[in-house]
Amino acid sequence: MTRTARKVAHWATILAFVGPFLGFLLVFQYWPLVQMVNDSLYDFSLLNPARRTFVGIENYTWAFTDPDRIQAFQVTFGLAIGTICLILPVSFLLAVYLNGKLPARGIIRTIVFLPVITSAVVIATMWTFLLDANNGLLNSALTALGLPRGLFLTDKVQALPSVIMMTLWQQTGFATVLFLSGLQGIPQELEDAAHVDGATAWQRLRFITVPLLIRTTVFVVVIMTAFALQAFAPALIMTGGGPEGMTNFVAYDIYKLAFILEAPGLASAVSVIFTLIVLAISLLQMRLLRARWNY
Amino acid sequence: MRRILPVAALAGMLSLASHAEAQTATAQCPNGVTTLSLLKPLNNPVFPEQIAAYRALNPCVSIDVSEVPFGQLADKISVLAAAGTLPDILVYDGPNTQSYASAGILEPMERFFPPGLREDILPATLAEHSFEGRIYSPGLQQTTLALFYNADMLRAAGIAEPPRTLDQAWTWPQAMEAFARCQQGSGDNVTVWGLAPSRFGTGQPGFVYRDLLFLRTFGNPTAPQDSTAFRTFFGISPDGRTAQGWLNTPEAVQGATFFRDMFNTARITPRSGIPNAFQDGKACFTIDVSFLVAGLRTRDPGFAWGVTPLPHARTPIVHTGSLTLGVSARSRHVEEAARFVMAVSTGPIALQYARTSGTLPVLLSLYPQLPALGEYPLNIFAQALREWGHPRPPSSRFAQYDKIVSDALRDIAYGADPKTRLDAAVRSLALVLRR
Amino acid sequence: MPRILRLGLGLVVLLVVVAVFLGPYAWIAASSFKPQDEIFRDLEPLSWRTFWPTSPTIENVVHLFENRRMGRALLNSAIVSTCQVILTLVLCSTAAYGLTRIRFRGANLVFALVLMTFLLPLESLVVPLYMTVSGLSLQDTLIGAFIPWIASPFGMFLLRQYFEELPRELDEAARLDGAGHFRIFWSIVLPNVRVPMVTLALVTFLFSWNAFLWPLVILSSPGNTVVQIAIAQSVAPGQLPNWGETFAGATVATVPLILLFLFLQRFFVRGVALSGVKG
Repeated sequence: MTRTARKVAHWATILAFVGPFLGFLLVFQYWPLVQMVNDSLYDFSLLNPARRTFVGIENYTWAFTDPDRIQAFQVTFGLAIGTICLILPVSFLLAVYLNGKLPARGIIRTIVFLPVITSAVVIATMWTFLLDANNGLLNSALTALGLPRGLFLTDKVQALPSVIMMTLWQQTGFATVLFLSGLQGIPQELEDAAHVDGATAWQRLRFITVPLLIRTTVFVVVIMTAFALQAFAPALIMTGGGPEGMTNFVAYDIYKLAFILEAPGLASAVSVIFTLIVLAISLLQMRLLRARWNY
Repeated sequence: MRRILPVAALAGMLSLASHAEAQTATAQCPNGVTTLSLLKPLNNPVFPEQIAAYRALNPCVSIDVSEVPFGQLADKISVLAAAGTLPDILVYDGPNTQSYASAGILEPMERFFPPGLREDILPATLAEHSFEGRIYSPGLQQTTLALFYNADMLRAAGIAEPPRTLDQAWTWPQAMEAFARCQQGSGDNVTVWGLAPSRFGTGQPGFVYRDLLFLRTFGNPTAPQDSTAFRTFFGISPDGRTAQGWLNTPEAVQGATFFRDMFNTARITPRSGIPNAFQDGKACFTIDVSFLVAGLRTRDPGFAWGVTPLPHARTPIVHTGSLTLGVSARSRHVEEAARFVMAVSTGPIALQYARTSGTLPVLLSLYPQLPALGEYPLNIFAQALREWGHPRPPSSRFAQYDKIVSDALRDIAYGADPKTRLDAAVRSLALVLRR
Repeated sequence: MPRILRLGLGLVVLLVVVAVFLGPYAWIAASSFKPQDEIFRDLEPLSWRTFWPTSPTIENVVHLFENRRMGRALLNSAIVSTCQVILTLVLCSTAAYGLTRIRFRGANLVFALVLMTFLLPLESLVVPLYMTVSGLSLQDTLIGAFIPWIASPFGMFLLRQYFEELPRELDEAARLDGAGHFRIFWSIVLPNVRVPMVTLALVTFLFSWNAFLWPLVILSSPGNTVVQIAIAQSVAPGQLPNWGETFAGATVATVPLILLFLFLQRFFVRGVALSGVKG
């Protein structure tokens, strides 16, 4: 083979292996990304996308100043922060339990993981009826325990916490498994040495386990943030954006703007802002993850 | 290559087979069976009986029905329109005719009208289903609201029998007193509610068809045209493009406050839906359409019941406009679909439907053939339609108006401050209506 | 900790976990087989009857398949998910091989390009992606439902990690025998990455079967419904006679995944733990 022929063959092979993947990526990720930025500068309807008027940054000014759009970002972050604050202690404790030699570990691990593989739609459907103010299982259980009934999704103040509770229920299994693998990664020698030195279980937990789990914790925070930022089914199925926008998550807001209110240019502007925020958060989190805690 | 040929042949055969199936000529149907797709809301027309009646006369047409809950119907149509995949026949809420027609979704229907039909249709219905001089649907039915009551419970609570004529109709304060007295239990332990939860839309409170009336009734159509009282009554500017000053007037806020208090202060109605509340004896009163009359007659609820006209605050008003059938402009079977729509909406199928369902027909010629409409309780609905009936605020963006205002009313029912929330709704509407 | 205390604690935790995590499933599954009024009646007071149908009926399930096209939805979901899995495996494995085993200039650039898309949220791309897919005339097709996702950055990263760990000596040996890249890929690398491939297949299947936003946007005609859409379009708590049917739908949609999960738990847990953002 001549050198040129070999070179051509080489690049043909590369194209054969990497080409299809890259091709699909360019067509279905990068091209829409470019489209999105372009669309955000226009005003048009999906019923007739060719007929559009150029509005420049008008969509952006509106997106930054409209109280409903600002609220959408606020409640989405509220969901993320609320979920994270609750899921870290709960799943950590559960992981500690599962790591010990206590009974029924396998069954418990399977059970808590079920909601993780259940779809967002089924979870939202399930919880719509669970949280029903009149005929819901949760209120029924609260009454049986002698506790006051809740208004849940019909109340401005209770709606977002209800969604946080649902998210917590769904994702605890996932975070628990992550913590569990983190716990199992702590060398037994460290624990043994501390035990020999006379450290109590509590001291061992505080000075060995927790510090070595920081990396796992950050990873859990990353996953939970991503999940919260994607929240869509609860808004569509359960609340339609919630009492006074309290569950109007950004993903649903974008969908509503584009397909229901027929303002895809506005939706694209919000999408661009959302993408930039998500990128910033992701990069920050990747930085944090890269830091190493060697032992 | 060796493997591709058999696969291609198989694919070819499969596609031919499915194509052939659709076109199989039979002795009965020399052109094969045409399948029309139809989208409709759950628990609403067109019902299997109507389709069966049509098929009996037209065996070469089959109807492929898909259903969504009523609360999702408008959204579904929006999405389907954007995707260009609307079904051949659409059952949609009449006030959306303007929106859909201006978006090019619906096919004009006048050319399918037999002579004399135009004059036979109720003028209000004809107006609602028209846009820029073209008519997009003949109209299937009219519905209005009235207040149903459980006569046994009222008697037990010592409440006098409500009036049966429009001129003696209750006011809202009177009705509220009855609701409160009839209710059993309070706080978290209500066993029987005064007023049943709305079963319209998604079952959440706020649906414009029922709940915007609480605002509009505080208005006054005889007041000067630039007064807030006048504007409250109409809910939107005549060109359908402005809500500021029409939806968030002081009178509207007053109405919204009254509405909010029903759920939060007086607490005579629950915040979330209870399916079948009235029939199951879990509520004394319910606001519902004339269909419920037929429903209660077919399935005896086990108690005596009655109907009284819908209460009012300042001016009595009920909403008109109901589900109707339309043909998709981009359907591939426009003629066949139009024939179905006309057959179901006019003629014997329509008469039979009106007889059995207790609905109010849109064809004036049908009224004499339905003596039940002149008797109690259906006469209340027919009279209210004539004397108090107004369409929902007309606009070429009604679908969006409906959604935004329904959401606002829902939030107000859940306790939101009426003025703030109505202003927020007007702000969202400004975005949508100006285009 | 004394044994009796340990057992006691275990029991308490087990009971709480079962009540909180299994309770809702049990309620939904049991109510799928109850007539509407029984669902309400059994709610208060809370008892064992809430979680067990005393007069079971299959009416809801029958209705589901007759009126809601559940059978069709299940079939469509199966088709979309299977195609997505197969194509994702093909594309990601070849791409991962190309980026790790073949030395070429620009490999890092490609890698960076893929990394970037990993961070893009699907939700913001929905509108322009919808227009792109419609532009290819793939709207309202099953192909349109899976094709944007087969070039999965997560899948590529996952496989790349495993590919990197495979010793190069195997390649060298094969090359001495005259094997080209295709042969090395097919005969040497692939057989050694079975575990991550299975993991990727499972995670992709899970993601595809549970996907909602994209199918909702791209699929519209009733014959093209998938399972998640079929359920979502029946949720209307205030309307009759809906509850049992909706519950039946939710149960039917989840059972395949639960079965898959119970048999392949090991892979699931590992895969979901690795899945990071897009899972």
